[in-house]
Amino acid sequence: MPKNSKGRDIAEIIPAKCIGCQLCLGECPVNAITMEGGVAKIDPEKCIGCGKCVDVCPANSILFEKPRKKKATAAEQKTPSISEYKGVAVFIEVNNGVAADVSWELMGKGRELAEKLNVPVIGFLPGYKVATIAKEAIYYGCDVVYTMDDPLFQVYISKMYGNALTQLCNQVKPEIFLIGATPLGRDLSSIIATKLKTGLTADCTGLDINPEDRLLLMTRPTFGGNIMATILCRNHRPQMSTVRPKVMKMPKRDPERQGEIRAVKYEGPAEIVPRIIETIPFDTAGAVDITRSPVLVVLGKGACDTKYFPMLEEFARLLGGTIACSRPLVEAGLLPYLRQVGQTGKTVAPKLYIGIGVSGAVQHQVGMQGSERVIAINTDRHAPLVQIADYAIIGDYTKIVPELIKGLKERAPALLKEGVQQ
Amino acid sequence: MHIVCCIKQVPDTTQVKIDPVTNTLIRAGVESICNPYDIVGVEAAVKLTERYGGKVTVITMGPQQADSALRDCMAIGAHKAILLSDRAFAGADTLATSYTLASAITKLSAKDPVEIVICGKQAIDGDTAQTGPGIATRLDFNQLTYVSEIINLDLEKKVIRVRREIEGASQIIEANLPVLLTVELQLGAPRYASLPNLIKALRQEIPVWGAREIGADPDMVGLKGSPTSVKSIFAPPPRKGGPVFDTSDGLENSLNSFLDTLFQKDQSILTEVLNPNSKG
Repeated sequence: MPKNSKGRDIAEIIPAKCIGCQLCLGECPVNAITMEGGVAKIDPEKCIGCGKCVDVCPANSILFEKPRKKKATAAEQKTPSISEYKGVAVFIEVNNGVAADVSWELMGKGRELAEKLNVPVIGFLPGYKVATIAKEAIYYGCDVVYTMDDPLFQVYISKMYGNALTQLCNQVKPEIFLIGATPLGRDLSSIIATKLKTGLTADCTGLDINPEDRLLLMTRPTFGGNIMATILCRNHRPQMSTVRPKVMKMPKRDPERQGEIRAVKYEGPAEIVPRIIETIPFDTAGAVDITRSPVLVVLGKGACDTKYFPMLEEFARLLGGTIACSRPLVEAGLLPYLRQVGQTGKTVAPKLYIGIGVSGAVQHQVGMQGSERVIAINTDRHAPLVQIADYAIIGDYTKIVPELIKGLKERAPALLKEGVQQ
Repeated sequence: MHIVCCIKQVPDTTQVKIDPVTNTLIRAGVESICNPYDIVGVEAAVKLTERYGGKVTVITMGPQQADSALRDCMAIGAHKAILLSDRAFAGADTLATSYTLASAITKLSAKDPVEIVICGKQAIDGDTAQTGPGIATRLDFNQLTYVSEIINLDLEKKVIRVRREIEGASQIIEANLPVLLTVELQLGAPRYASLPNLIKALRQEIPVWGAREIGADPDMVGLKGSPTSVKSIFAPPPRKGGPVFDTSDGLENSLNSFLDTLFQKDQSILTEVLNPNSKG
């Protein structure tokens, strides 16, 4: 146990474990902790050895062994109103009259959570002419759908939708509220959480119920996706969470399923601001949605030579896929931003991900770790992507890819014939 | 016209490495930078004031060291910077952060009304994209997220017209001031700071405001004001690597054995995706 010059036992940070969350800075009563190079550092001369920093550190990165009184188990003061909140609510996102897949994915997850809690699954559906979608919600697992059918909600306007869902939360009082982390959902969720003054955890990859206290366990990647954190929202309701598309499984649609649809009247101000002047859909020739492609041939820094792009496109087409890339290719102006996979690009989860010359930095991996199968083609055996790939091919892609195209074409007919026969 | 840009200092994730033994992030020694989305917002704000007049104030909440990110913004033309730093702010989640930033903007507005607030679309370390909409809601400003172009600003009518990137489309949208924008990288890269401007930025004094200075309720900032808390932290289960085929052992042989394995193990995926009739 280290001591300072005054002979006091002091706490010590293990820099490798510190995640730089700064919780200890706020807790230290004597300002002994500062941030240095992204990690906390304790000034041994200032430290009084109280151990408060140890209590708050979520990463167990503080060494402190002095025996001390354990804080009385936090008899968390629960606001009595919390027990009034019941049920798992899901926001049903509608674009141009079509429900977003992620809403049904969350309906499936919501069903699972609701069964653990023995409460109903609730759908929140603001929109215009949404009767059919409300029925679909029931087929996908919803027990009660609250619709707010009004021309005011024909298109998405942040303020209006924020008001509508805040009203629904206040009336229905769900204990959990799930929203798809689409551009629209991310725009909306924070408005609602701010109005309700409750906690919101973005981009969760895991949701579960803690059997002891019925709290929602929200797990999300943090600090660049290398650490997973499980987040709680103890004393505020609803416990809000957003989940990216394709993270949860699509539930089975059951057209026999029964449920209830309740119409709710919107009570907020009916002023449609801001004004949408024009919506320009991406033209089909120039733009692609790489998140929807079942196969992605992803080009990295090692596959920058445009001479080979036609060959790689042929390879992608053969596999029914499309071309995507890592950040350096966008920065070099070789491919558009829309095709970028990774932290500052798109999150993808194709059936088959083929990385060509992609080293696989953390920032890239967070955008593709949901892929079903990963193939890496790289000259560097030690590239991070090679380490995690289900199949790795070491060598020059300009020689490998033509051979693969040839091989796939040769083998495909037999495979597909076999498939038909089965 | 008064524009406030909210920025965040983040670790430069392009430098972050993983400890191969513990499988955790090595953060020590990693340089801190201004969040790339935020500095794009500062550039846009500076451009607006160059065209329409007015000034840009940059604010950030963070430890004392975060002043270097503020100086980066001043070096590219921001007029003023304020550091929101207080022990009471530590451990803030997005709800407490948006409260703190909104309180500071309210205080700035009392002297010189703030008409536009610009935030980055998201921070590269947390990725939540929650703080901007949170601030807009607290200030009751119009909110325009994912802005990729500022098309027009009419200061007489107090109307701004922008292009937003939404799912599958771009949207041209108009809002009345005051407004909060969250911006995409497409808005335009920040300019390079000239040496004299860099030196000037280094010499500027940056006021530090704590909870008392911004008139914040101590129960609504930092850890106390945060409804969410971290229960536990763990390393994600690593994806296990599969077989490696080295073409230096002979191109044809190794690729044949790769295809053999692939066709055997992942027949179902291939049956689904293969499209042999595609014309190359």
